[in-house]
Amino acid sequence: MAILEVHELKKKFDEDEVLKGISFNMEKGQTLSILGSSGSGKTTLLRCLNLLETPDEGTITVNGDLLFFANVKQLKEDELRKKRLHFGMVFQQFNLFPQYTALENVILAPKLVKKDMESAEILERGKVLLNKMGLSDRMDNYPHQLSGGQQQRVAIARALALNPDILCFDEPTSALDPELTGEVLKVIKELSEQNTTMIIVTHEIAFAREVSDEIIFMDQGVIAEQGPPSQVIDNPNNERTKQFLSNYLK
Amino acid sequence: MFTSVTISLLEGFLGTLKLFSLTLLFSLPLGLIISFGSMSKNAVVRVPIRFIIWVVRGTPLMLQLLIFFYGPGIFFGVNLWGAGDSGRFTAALVAFVFNYACYFSEIFRGGIQSIPKGQYEAAAVLGLTKSQTFFKIVLLQVVKRIVPPISNEVITLVKDTSLARVIAFYEIIWEGERFIKSAGIIWPLFYTGVFYLIFSGLLTLLFGYIEKRLDYFK
Repeated sequence: MAILEVHELKKKFDEDEVLKGISFNMEKGQTLSILGSSGSGKTTLLRCLNLLETPDEGTITVNGDLLFFANVKQLKEDELRKKRLHFGMVFQQFNLFPQYTALENVILAPKLVKKDMESAEILERGKVLLNKMGLSDRMDNYPHQLSGGQQQRVAIARALALNPDILCFDEPTSALDPELTGEVLKVIKELSEQNTTMIIVTHEIAFAREVSDEIIFMDQGVIAEQGPPSQVIDNPNNERTKQFLSNYLK
Repeated sequence: MFTSVTISLLEGFLGTLKLFSLTLLFSLPLGLIISFGSMSKNAVVRVPIRFIIWVVRGTPLMLQLLIFFYGPGIFFGVNLWGAGDSGRFTAALVAFVFNYACYFSEIFRGGIQSIPKGQYEAAAVLGLTKSQTFFKIVLLQVVKRIVPPISNEVITLVKDTSLARVIAFYEIIWEGERFIKSAGIIWPLFYTGVFYLIFSGLLTLLFGYIEKRLDYFK
């Protein structure tokens, strides 16, 4: 059974139709990358999944649980919060909380949200996650004392701490200096190898080809092409995909 | 002579301190409430509150003191404030709280609105409630940003308390001026400045300390 089913998702900002009916499924343990030029709607799609934006039409189903159904417009704040926890989110700008250390950033939400977990257990898990990110010696540093790549790895640990069904990345390396992107991509690749279910919005074509099981190419609010990397990146059928890729792979 | 003048002025300064500290005590929380109102999505709340802020910030505090003190009697024929010194104090306090709450509300609004949207979004995807987001994430960042402008207002308030003289509220300038009539000397009035200086100096140190304590994050 598909872990995520998105059906006919539509979103307008004023008169600007950013998503014009997006449908796709994804399987548990898969890595899905979403490519496309700026303004193609890929970030909006990700934000709709997280319910940071409210879609106008369509449905989102996670693990057979209907998460969002556009006809039920007003979600109660409480329900909204629970539904969001299916997804973890890593932002382009990291968005770490500046007044907390790396470790505190990771354990803050579990402490507030997971009422059934012991705080010693949460602390232990936070340390394990940061270790996994290669940040064992940085746990007590504040975000401003960390490099961009380190901050983004803390953000990944923070998102993983809540055990989301699906981890989303919104252009995770776009705000980083080129020499720092490698360390973040390496971590994402490791997660992919451990079969973490992930959706990655990215401009790193080569990286997407390497880690993805599935690629979606978006153009002007629709899915122009979808398939395994060997198809979408190496043998694209769609004219827009070809054009886009030729700009990147020069 | 110097010692007895100092003691008298200290007595007057107690009046100043009383008005100062009670104004802060009430206007800071009231300012926070007003700032929420001025950011409300509901125009029925937002527009009147912004109008009131405009009026309060756009007219002299001295005039507001006079209106608060005499207004109820003149316009409604009620003696709202009660008789004597305590009535004068209450009227002065209400006018000061109202005035400073409006200024503080604008500082709070600026501070709250300066927090990047990403902080709210990160809190939202982590499943935090609105109040958890405000108290655990936003508040301390706001406090850090508003310490300098708040310290400015607080130091202004120390000196603004002297305006309450206009409705015959007893404070240090009043006490200093008394010596002109009673002893024919003017230096006690000038000497009051030292009290203001020392007190605002202490406040400067205090706010400097708070700023330093919040230096651990950026």
